[in-house]
Amino acid sequence: MAQAMKIPTDIRPTKVGIVPCNGEEICEGSVTRFACRKVLDEIRPGKTVTICLPLFVAGDEKERNFACHYPTITLDGCGKRCAAISTEKLSGKPARSLVVTDILKKHGAKLSGNRKTLTAEDLKLVDLVAEEIAQEVDKITGKED
Amino acid sequence: MAKKVVIMPCSGIGKAYGEIGRQATYKVAESLRPEEVETECLARLMIDDPETKEKITNNYVITVDGCAKDCAKKNVEKTGKTVDKAMRTLDVFKEHRDLKPEGVLNLGEPGMKLADFLAEKLAEEVDSLVGKGE
Amino acid sequence: MSGNFVEVTYDKFTFRVDQSCFYHPNETWAREEDDLIVVGVTDFLQTNSGDVAFLEAPEVGAELTQGGDAGIIETIKTTVTLSSPVSGTVVEVNTTLADEPELINSDAHGAGWIMKIKPSNWATEKGNLLSPKAYLPIMEVKAKQALDNKK
Repeated sequence: MAQAMKIPTDIRPTKVGIVPCNGEEICEGSVTRFACRKVLDEIRPGKTVTICLPLFVAGDEKERNFACHYPTITLDGCGKRCAAISTEKLSGKPARSLVVTDILKKHGAKLSGNRKTLTAEDLKLVDLVAEEIAQEVDKITGKED
Repeated sequence: MAKKVVIMPCSGIGKAYGEIGRQATYKVAESLRPEEVETECLARLMIDDPETKEKITNNYVITVDGCAKDCAKKNVEKTGKTVDKAMRTLDVFKEHRDLKPEGVLNLGEPGMKLADFLAEKLAEEVDSLVGKGE
Repeated sequence: MSGNFVEVTYDKFTFRVDQSCFYHPNETWAREEDDLIVVGVTDFLQTNSGDVAFLEAPEVGAELTQGGDAGIIETIKTTVTLSSPVSGTVVEVNTTLADEPELINSDAHGAGWIMKIKPSNWATEKGNLLSPKAYLPIMEVKAKQALDNKK
């Protein structure tokens, strides 16, 4: 049984692993991908690493070792929380577990529903989700940019 | 009831291959072969979702992996199901060397063309599988 | 045969340095094998470049110079011209890579070897290459920069 990860308060981690669910069925799955890459490439470069969920579950050592030694933030598209559950099973409880549907509900926002191509409005919501992730990254690393 | 084809892309986040496979899957499921093809979240297999497992058990499965790591294939086979066809986006790129995607998620025109070529190949495989009939 | 490895992990990437090789600053390695030199690309190069889809290696009989062009590898995101770590004549090319170029990614120092060269001036040119001990810190800096600055 995976042990819950405790983040020591005296030593802040320098990197955080982001685990998107990549769900193919619904638009929210596409949002997890775009939001994750936005954080990695633009908002918090150098402080975040993506964990590829299928590679992680398939048994890739690199992905699993990182998730064992660094805190993770899972980003699921829906309430099934596949990324959170898989991460906890394989390397430990994520430091934060975010769900796109919950984030959008909190902001009273709604996606177009087009899973193949995100609209301009959808991309604004991607930014919103990415900012939520970034704030969690900052709380974990104890740093503000 | 006739078996359908479930196409499962790896949706890898680290390389453009993942998005190309995903876009190709959507094209086949929504435009090219909407009657014969269904999609399903690969991640749901990872949490042993019973509906997802039942769907892949009772239908044909094509996995679309980005690269030689074959994550989608491995994750499907962990459930005990043997995939009916395993494809790799990398192999399609080898046939269309001039088509290099512009980004990991924002593929640009060349990346989407590569997705279209992959979608055509997937559609052929779908035809081959459903043509067997049971 | 390839020797012992030193591994460096940065983020989720592990880079291997083969202790039996000598290293050109442009990320190719050279390993002595009887009177020939086996040549390949480093773990850092293959990780940074991505999945190799195409390899264009020099032909058998080609004359190479140290630091000169020695073929290309092409991935979906980049094309890299390889630098020969040694001067000499190409006597063998790894033909397996024509069908399985991904061996360069999965086993850069072993099954992913690219060519074998009969060297013309190895005793002198060896001194121009980096020992594993000298290469390791240079590679670590490059890896850190590459991973921190990736877009």
